[in-house]
Amino acid sequence: MTTEPIQAAPLLEARNLTKVYEDGVKALDNLNLKVLPGEIFAMLGGNGAGKTTTINTFLDFIQPTSGSALINSIDANQEPLEAKKYVSFVSENVQLYPNFTAMQNVDFFVRLGGQSNYERADYEHALIRVGLQREAFDKKLKDFSKGMRQKCGIAIAILKDAPAILLDEPTSGLDPKAGKEFTRLVGELRDEGKAILMSTHDIFRAKEIADYVGILNNGVLVAQKTYEELRGVNLEELYVEYMAGYMDETLESAVLTNDLD
Amino acid sequence: MFKLIFAKELKEIIQSSRFTISFAVCSVLIILSFYMGAQNYLASLAQYEAAVQENNNQIAANTDWQFVNHSIMLPPQPLMALVNGVSNDIGRNIEMRSQGELRAENTRFNDEPIFAIFRFMDLEFIFGIILSLFAIIFAYDAINGEKISGTLKLCFANPLSRASFISGKLAGSFLGLSIALLIPMLIGCALLPLLGIQLTGEEWIRLGLILIAGLAYFGLFLALAIGISAITSKPSNSFLLCLVIWIFAVLIIPRGSVLISGRIADVPNVDQITAEKNRYRAQLFAEDRPKMADFSVDPQTEPMDVFPLFSEFMNELGTARQEKIDVFNARLNEEFTNKRRRQEQLALSISRVSPTSVFTLATTELAGTSLRLQNQYMDDAYEYQNTYASFMEEETGSANSGGFRMIVIDTDGNQEEPDPLDPNDLPQFQFNQGSVATIAGNTLLDFGLLFIFNLVFFGGAFAAFLKYDLR
Repeated sequence: MTTEPIQAAPLLEARNLTKVYEDGVKALDNLNLKVLPGEIFAMLGGNGAGKTTTINTFLDFIQPTSGSALINSIDANQEPLEAKKYVSFVSENVQLYPNFTAMQNVDFFVRLGGQSNYERADYEHALIRVGLQREAFDKKLKDFSKGMRQKCGIAIAILKDAPAILLDEPTSGLDPKAGKEFTRLVGELRDEGKAILMSTHDIFRAKEIADYVGILNNGVLVAQKTYEELRGVNLEELYVEYMAGYMDETLESAVLTNDLD
Repeated sequence: MFKLIFAKELKEIIQSSRFTISFAVCSVLIILSFYMGAQNYLASLAQYEAAVQENNNQIAANTDWQFVNHSIMLPPQPLMALVNGVSNDIGRNIEMRSQGELRAENTRFNDEPIFAIFRFMDLEFIFGIILSLFAIIFAYDAINGEKISGTLKLCFANPLSRASFISGKLAGSFLGLSIALLIPMLIGCALLPLLGIQLTGEEWIRLGLILIAGLAYFGLFLALAIGISAITSKPSNSFLLCLVIWIFAVLIIPRGSVLISGRIADVPNVDQITAEKNRYRAQLFAEDRPKMADFSVDPQTEPMDVFPLFSEFMNELGTARQEKIDVFNARLNEEFTNKRRRQEQLALSISRVSPTSVFTLATTELAGTSLRLQNQYMDDAYEYQNTYASFMEEETGSANSGGFRMIVIDTDGNQEEPDPLDPNDLPQFQFNQGSVATIAGNTLLDFGLLFIFNLVFFGGAFAAFLKYDLR
């Protein structure tokens, strides 16, 4: 785990990022965050806190009202095609083309990401690395479980080899074994120097892997702690403390019973 | 990126079960329509040849052209069997007369009314109804389906422009689905010579143009469905909207245009015209009756000479009456034809709002089964009537067939038996379909409209996707 100060420029940066929807709802309020190479930044927060909005802004799916989302110092909303060359994305529920095999899906998305020099052996290597069984390589995706699709998604991200990675609740709905495996892979990618911005409800996994944990509430980054600052801290209590007064009862109950997965 | 999306779309379509099912259904239907068309054509040809032979036998059984009842027939064309158009609704036989009105009788539906209810499954039906529906079934969820499944978001997490995506998608799906149509079409074309139908070079060109029109028509429904899937959030909504548009385009507008034009441009029906003609004919005959009653000859005239004089008198009376009837009928016919053509033009103009009408008009024109077929057949028949009248006048000394005729039979058995007539002496009727250049020229407007529809729907899909919420 990287604990030494990093002097490099941030690969992912939100600068005063604000998004107000037409109906007046403020999804992001002056959000500032930086993710440097070899760092994982985990965004925690309840439903509607602004985690996915932040990721969607980096991907240019949402235009910010003000501020900017920078990928490798390129404004993702001004020059989206250039900015997206430097980022990979794995969603909460990776959905690939069901009539394509795993290999065909990987080939398509990796080429779409700008990598066209790979051969089948490279794809196989990546799929094996993420833990997909060899006999599944040429099976159609419609027969895959969610965990298998997530593995394909991370294999695509690995093969695209972008310096930054956006993960939108990537372990949501995975069984504990698959979740742990996924966390290991994310750790490996961080160790390879990738800058990773991850949104999650999973407090424990965030604490386990993240270099920085940010807590979002109603679009405001209400807290940001380093890995060191979190050492010995009861993150659940911290989370509830920051979220107090904002959470709905269901989420609060889930936090208190450690049942956020 | 365009190439990548194009190839992905092509591959995805070909690997889908929707494609397999559609390909199988298209193949069966298209090949069946070629096969049935070929069989229909061969049956029509046999029927036509039998009718011509019967007509010749009837001529050959006579010894005097005065007694001949000659009919001309509309020769069947191979393309008529592939795109029926109005060919089954118009009369095929015309009883030829030296003068007066001609009437085409014996329609196919008259002979076989069951087909009038269910119609034939020709290429125009398969493209117009079935393949346009297939296009919708394939593309109604092209964009919103990808959004719901999440693949759209994953695609656009990469440096991919919206223009490349939508262009690649449109082009890829069009090519993928065209394969499903082209293969059975080519098999169908190859079947024609095997089934004994030899098309001329011009007919092959016209068939090729029909297939191009079919693909353009299919393409515009594909672009329309993709466009609608880019303006609706749920596939169920886009399917419903596509279906409503399809119903209007295929079923409502073509029929509605005829109703609307009928309201705007009033045309008397054929029965009214016929009644008016009959009234005038009866009136003239009533006027001639006192003249007939006043017929008298010199009392010194030999009885045997009275009959030829009466015959000549009646002939002159009949000719004069017929001339008046012809002038009256020609005026009525011209007025009727002009009004009907105005109504038709109005109906066609309104119906061209629908791409289905445009496609139907283009294909029937190319197959020679448009509304022009009836006009062309009647024009050719009237032209032939002049040749026939000259021939009859030459052979019988009178151009006036029908009416009152008096024949004197000499019972002296010493005369020679007259020779039977040779049908080959009669001038042959030629049906002029027009050259491929003329026919193609007539379809320029409809091909232009098909192109414009494609452009508009493609542009619409493109523009809608540029504003599409990718989340």
